[in-house]
Amino acid sequence: MYADDAMTRSVVDQLFGRLADMGAELNTVGDRGFMPRLADRWEWATDSLSIAFHIDPGARWHDGRPVTARDVAFTYSLYTDPKVGSSVGPLLRSIDSVTARDSATAVVWYKQRSPEQFFDAAFQLIIMPEHLFSSADRASLRTHELATQPVGNGRFRFVRWDKGSTIEIVADTANYRGRPKLDRVIWTIAPDFTAGVTRLLAGEADFYEFLRADNIIEVGKNPSLKTIPYPSLQYGFLTFNLKEAKNRKRPHAIFADREVRRALAMAVDRQKLVESVFGKLALPAIGPVSRALSTADTTLQQIPYDVEGSKRILDSLGWKDTNGDGIREKGRRVLEFGMLVPSSSRSRAQFAVLLQEAFRQVGAKVNVDLLEFTTVGARLKARDFETTLGVWQTDPSPGGVRQTWGIEGSRASDGSNLGSYESRAFDALVDTALTQMDVVKERAYFRRAYQMIIDDAPAIFLYEPRQTAGAHKRIMPANMRADSWWANLADWSIPADQRIDRDRIGLRAPAAP
Amino acid sequence: MGRVLIRRLLQAVVIIYLVATVVFILIHLAPGDPFVYLDNPNVTVEVRAQRSAALGLDRPLPEQYVRYIGRLATGNLGESIFLNRPVATVMREALPNTILLMGTAIILSFGIGVAIGMVQIARRGSHVERALTTGSLFFYSMPDFWLALIVLLVFAYWIPIFPVGGVVDPVMHAYLTPVGRILDRLWHLVLPTVTLTALTAAGIARYQRSALLDVVREDFVRTARAKGATERTVMTRHALRNAVLPVITLLGLSFPALLGGAVFVEKVYSWPGMGLVAVNALATRDYPLVLGCAITGATMVSLGNVLADLLYAVADPRLRNDS
Repeated sequence: MYADDAMTRSVVDQLFGRLADMGAELNTVGDRGFMPRLADRWEWATDSLSIAFHIDPGARWHDGRPVTARDVAFTYSLYTDPKVGSSVGPLLRSIDSVTARDSATAVVWYKQRSPEQFFDAAFQLIIMPEHLFSSADRASLRTHELATQPVGNGRFRFVRWDKGSTIEIVADTANYRGRPKLDRVIWTIAPDFTAGVTRLLAGEADFYEFLRADNIIEVGKNPSLKTIPYPSLQYGFLTFNLKEAKNRKRPHAIFADREVRRALAMAVDRQKLVESVFGKLALPAIGPVSRALSTADTTLQQIPYDVEGSKRILDSLGWKDTNGDGIREKGRRVLEFGMLVPSSSRSRAQFAVLLQEAFRQVGAKVNVDLLEFTTVGARLKARDFETTLGVWQTDPSPGGVRQTWGIEGSRASDGSNLGSYESRAFDALVDTALTQMDVVKERAYFRRAYQMIIDDAPAIFLYEPRQTAGAHKRIMPANMRADSWWANLADWSIPADQRIDRDRIGLRAPAAP
Repeated sequence: MGRVLIRRLLQAVVIIYLVATVVFILIHLAPGDPFVYLDNPNVTVEVRAQRSAALGLDRPLPEQYVRYIGRLATGNLGESIFLNRPVATVMREALPNTILLMGTAIILSFGIGVAIGMVQIARRGSHVERALTTGSLFFYSMPDFWLALIVLLVFAYWIPIFPVGGVVDPVMHAYLTPVGRILDRLWHLVLPTVTLTALTAAGIARYQRSALLDVVREDFVRTARAKGATERTVMTRHALRNAVLPVITLLGLSFPALLGGAVFVEKVYSWPGMGLVAVNALATRDYPLVLGCAITGATMVSLGNVLADLLYAVADPRLRNDS
């Protein structure tokens, strides 16, 4: 409910179940590919305005009480209560109400039919125990005792949380979905990236979910470790702010012009830049979408790399170097702009330098502002930037593109459309795609929307990282999904003959402190 | 003595109040807010506003300040925005780790620093003195974070005889015997303590050497030698007692420096103490937690200085009588 970051979600998803889970294809339209979880089956109403979820009779909370339909209805009421302030609440707009037909049947009622209505109920709701939370003050759930001592229904049970240090879970041996192959999983919290990698390299950690290029070489040299590539839903981009930072009502003197943006995009050899920064650990982005998303299309036409073409376009638009200093001008405006970059991201800092050089070649001067993460966040929120290097980790639902590139995201004071790109045609295409019950039609509309945004170039879509995890060789992971590498953690294993001391603790409880 | 102590403690209260006020203003002036880290496209304006109101951050800054100081006067440090827990609880968990690390480092660094200073004076002009002088200068001039990283790299990775970080083994500690747990804790204490001790002892050694150099030329030292006292007795009973006063001053002054050093050392060694909490709180703009760290730090420094005053009185009978 409050799992706003990946680390928290990776733990919560082991302890709590959903009604159903997405398949590897990450389809969010209809129920195709969804696998039974707390609900062992479901039935659509003939008008598709309600779905009845039948709770698996074997599903139990870790305190032994059965999971019931009332828990589902209660969970929906929690998520949508403004007092609770859950970030998932707004994603449940399509749902009208949830009722318990009987103790084993929860019925989700919808305001209208929509392609992702099943996804909204089955995937977004993480079911909470009514019998433990019903009397809790909803305004202070974040500090409720059960927030630090959760009682779930997942394949692992909570054991302990040493604040700022470790979180430990242990196999729920009587779970209705079967006993996990691992006895115990412990998350250890490192204060920064380097400390985390060092723990892996020193053998104190068995798995680290994200390695950088130089770490991969180190891991490769270590005979007891291995690397595990897996897909991601991230893409990195350079956004142009289409409005003046000082006066948001005015269009930006440089970037409001679509042709200038396209010309600047033509100056960037994305393939070469991506290889320079990431080696083989990333691919040039295909648009505002990761290749792992169900609506991705690798045949989208990209703006070509053409430095001479870029110069010709800028010349034709009146941007010329009249004083011979290598920087173009148009009237009194110099083709010079700032680039806001968080210093916490080494790859983005590298991209900033390479982009600076790429733009210099076509007569544009870039001033890089390398600032700490929180300061960058504040400037972005205030839209106080000209260009910025950003990364979006998208939701499995392709509809997220509306929040990051749609008009609503531009005009809301806290919207995620940072560059204020506003295209009614783009929004219409996305909206149409999101109402298609037919997957083929949905993808066709999304393709047109993606192509439109690439052509309009409100951003240069730079890279799509291929995530690489580092792990001890004895760790055998199961399928690592793009949206959540941890989704199948209960099916990871360690062969019996390769176990070391810490694998042999078994299921016993820790000694009293 | 009691009156001096009470005066010092009252001064400490004023200092803590001033620190709380200055930090309150500075942290609110810094760009960003506690919600930057929570930003994702799904956190709506309404959700953000609701969270902001729940934390009182929607109030005018002067009102927030008055409320905060009012709460502080009753000993309430507020709730951490990012950790969703009372700041006092976070401090209670982090402070023992920092005190353990700092306390061990202070004891060791003063013991080693004073001893090195004495050896340098006792062996004036020898290779030993030159080696110790060079060594202490080397560590004194070394950036704390760099030394921490190098020690970590050498002794936890290249020659993996010590753990890379943490207070205890995160997996095995809970399953060890009581003796095993103590040993595990000590094992994890070695590298951060060695780093902090090396950095601090070097400065103390140089200070002690200089103080002893002045004292050994005094008449009373010559008299002690003339009376036939051994060199060891001259140094420990006569010279050191007089030369230790400036080092006690240094002890009081070293608290802020050690706290500062602990920030880097705790970060490098993942030591969940005050330094690490402060760094994370600053990065996430967790206002109550930043203030809690500043107040706790100011309290520690103030108490450190009171302790130095007490030690002064113990070491110098004249001060005791004056009081």
